[in-house]
This record gives sequence, structure tokens and C-alpha cells, in this order.
Amino acid sequence: MELALLLQQGSTGDPTAIGIFRFFAAFFLIITIYSSSLGFTYWISKEE
Amino acid sequence: MPIGNLDVPVIGKNVVIAVLVQSHILFAAFIIGAVLIAATSEYLGMVTKQNNYERFARNLARFVVLLFASGAALAITFVLALVTLFPVFFSILQNIFFWVFLVEAFMFLGQIIIVYAWYNVWDKLAYRKSLHVVFGFIAGFFGLMAMTMIDAVASFMLTPAEVTSEASLVARSFLNQTMVPLNMHRFVGNFSYAGFLIAGWAGWRYLRTTREDDREYYDWMGHFGLLWGFGFLIIQPVIGYGYLKGIRESAPESFNTIMLGDKAWLFNLLVIWIAVLSIASTAYFVHKLRFAIEPMETLRKLAVGALGFTALFTVLNIIPTNASLIPQIGLVFGQGEETEIPLGSMYPWKYIGLIGLMLVGFFIVALYLRASATGFHWGRASRWSQYALMACAFFVVLTMVTMGYTRETARRVDNDPGYLINGCVKLDQSIVKEGCPTIPITEGKGG
Repeated sequence: MELALLLQQGSTGDPTAIGIFRFFAAFFLIITIYSSSLGFTYWISKEE
Repeated sequence: MPIGNLDVPVIGKNVVIAVLVQSHILFAAFIIGAVLIAATSEYLGMVTKQNNYERFARNLARFVVLLFASGAALAITFVLALVTLFPVFFSILQNIFFWVFLVEAFMFLGQIIIVYAWYNVWDKLAYRKSLHVVFGFIAGFFGLMAMTMIDAVASFMLTPAEVTSEASLVARSFLNQTMVPLNMHRFVGNFSYAGFLIAGWAGWRYLRTTREDDREYYDWMGHFGLLWGFGFLIIQPVIGYGYLKGIRESAPESFNTIMLGDKAWLFNLLVIWIAVLSIASTAYFVHKLRFAIEPMETLRKLAVGALGFTALFTVLNIIPTNASLIPQIGLVFGQGEETEIPLGSMYPWKYIGLIGLMLVGFFIVALYLRASATGFHWGRASRWSQYALMACAFFVVLTMVTMGYTRETARRVDNDPGYLINGCVKLDQSIVKEGCPTIPITEGKGG
């Protein structure tokens, strides 16, 4: 099988179980990185 | 054979890039929008002598300065990951966009220097306020220029044009068909996104604070943030239409995939988020009109009517075209694409929905600004109105993430194969020889 197709197997654009897992894993990671960085920035910015 | 075919266990290397870039964009877009909103607010404070504007601008500038670290760290990690995981692809991009990347780097540097200077000389330039305001706008300008450079690269990846000579390099690569609409879309989007986040933050603080003066301030801040958020959101359908028109003309297969084909569910998802943003914003405006210093019953009744129309038009946008909802996970009813859903077709219903949403949006914002001119009693907003603001902040993040994914997945028409540069460089970084826009440049330079 062509390498390009092999690389796409199980990717986020592929409707297999691993593709769906990776789709939600990516979403979870984005939201986690985003919210934790925002929270951290708020914490260091508090004037007390 | 391309060099460096590294993979990342469990999540794969595509997800690594997606996570780093999407997280970075969520910070970068906020920073660009927030700097310009803060600079405008500082200017309004200088002109109107109202303390809220100055307090808001200074606090936001401080937050942006601190947030810069996270945004920049993600950017540099992303570049490192791209060079490591997609070295051939990156070198091709460098080959075409060397000057663009160079300018982008210096714009980024300029933005950092000016943003930090802007915040640090706040007191020092207290008596030269005009000059200080200019600092803020220059910082915003640098941010916009950095965004413009990277938009050239991102748009080229979806709609590359054939570069046949050095003379046509700029016109065909930098100014590819979707560069200008994408840049406009993001320019307006930055304000809208930052505005909604500010409104959501204000809503949260309003509910948490116990001091009366802080309640008044956060109530005002929610109103100010939402004006930016919703005010710029209602311009987006026209610009978005222009962007999609560009994609349809230069990458029709990608357009079909994301608008009519297997990935059309992404657009359905997107309009659901926009429906929540529109209804929550309009409901907030209707609520707020009760607290106008000068009672405005007629205006409020008109606003209630506008809320009804907003709901109606958003429903028109949400109805799917056919019963093949999300084919990737088997969410298909009836005969799938053969089963058409009433009122779901693009023409005329989606157009009516989008144009209607815009017109009603302009109408309600005009009504609200009319009431704002006489002022509001601050600090009396209901709990639910603040929940509406917080919902806006949450759903605008989902909107950003969904749109980013939509643009990137548009290069994977049927996944056979997927492209890094549409129709030119495949996911394994091999160059498609036939019809690849970068061939003359790469071969001409010995690539």
C-alpha cells in the first residue's frame, strides 16, 4: 500500500475507531492546554 | 524517499500539529483582538473621561502581557514539531515563503517589544495619553501584520496557485485566491472572539464579586465585551461567504467536501454554535434594555421581536440538507443523501437564514446602541444574563476550533490521498508531480 495511504490510516480524517479516538483526544488536549494556560495566567496576574 | 518519517505513538503526528496550532491560535487571536480592543478602550477613556474604559484597558493590557508567554511557547513548540515531524514539507514552505516567514518573525518581535513597552510606560506617559494610545495601536498593527503573513501560508496550503516564474511569485503565492478573504475573516474574527471571551470573563467575575463598585464595573465590562463580540460576529457571514466563494472557485473538491459532502456536518456544527452565540447575545441585549436610565419600552418590544426572528433564522441555518448527518460514524437516516430534508437546502434557505441573521443582528445592535447613548443602571443585571455571557465565551471557543478543523480537513477530499499543500504535497510529504504548483520552483532551485 502506498505510504501516503498508510499514514492516513487511523488518522483524524479516517472513520475508524482509532481515528475517532484521535479526533476527541486532540479536542481534549486543545481544551486542556488552553484552559490550564488561561487559569495559570489568571493565577499569576492576581494582585493580592 | 522523504527524510524523517517519524511518527508519534498513540495520537499520531497529525494530532500533535493540530493540538499545538489550535491551542496557539486560541491565544494568538485573543492577543491580537484584545490589544486592539484595549487600545480603543484607552482612547475612549481619554476622550470620554469615564474611568471604566481606562481601568479595563489597563487590566486587559496586563493580562495580554502575561498571556504572551503561553502563546509564544506554543508557537515555538509548533515550529519545532513541524520541522521534526514534517521536514520536507517545511523546507518546501520555506522555499516558497522565505520572505514571508522572515517578515512574520520580525512583526512578532515588534509586537512583543511594543506590547511590553505599552504596558510598562502606562504611568510614565499618563500626561501624554495620545502618545500612549498610539503605542497600543502600533502593537495591534504588528500583531495584524504577523497574522497576515501566516495567513498567506495557510491559505496557500488550501488554494495553491501555479508559480511559474519569479515575477509571478508574490502574486500567485502570497496573494493566492483565498488569502485576502481568509485574512479579512480572521481580522474580524479576532475582535469577535476576544469580545466574547471578555464578556464571559466579566459575567463570571460579576457573579463572584461581593463589592458593589466591582459589580457595576463587571456589569459594564460584560456589556462592552459583548458589543465587540456580537457586533463583529454579524459581519462574518458576508466575509465567510467571500472566503467560501474563493475556495469553491480554486479548490472545488474541497468546497464540496466541507459544504455538501461527507464533512458537511462540520458546517452544521458551526451554525449550531453561531445559533447559541446569536440567541444568547440577543437575549442579553433584551434583558439589558430593562435597565436603561431612560425607560425605552418601545425599543424593548422591538428587541423582543428581534429575538424571535433571530431564533427563526438560526433554525433555518441548522436544518441539515439531507439525512446523511455524520457518515463517518454511521449517523445516516433513511436513504442518506437521497433523503432530502425540507427547508434544508443551501439555496434559498441557508442564504435566507444567514442574511436574515445579519439584518436582525444589525437591527438589535442599533437599538442597543441607541439605548446605550442614554446609559444603563449598572450592577443590576440578573444571574441568567451573566450565564448568557459565559455561554458565549464557551461557544466562541468551540466555533474557533470547529472552523480551524474545517479548513484543515478540507485538504482531505475522500482521504485519497490527503494533502499538506492541496493537490501538491501529500501527507507523506511526497510531491505530486503532475499539476503541482510548486514543481517549477522546487525543480528550478534544485529541490
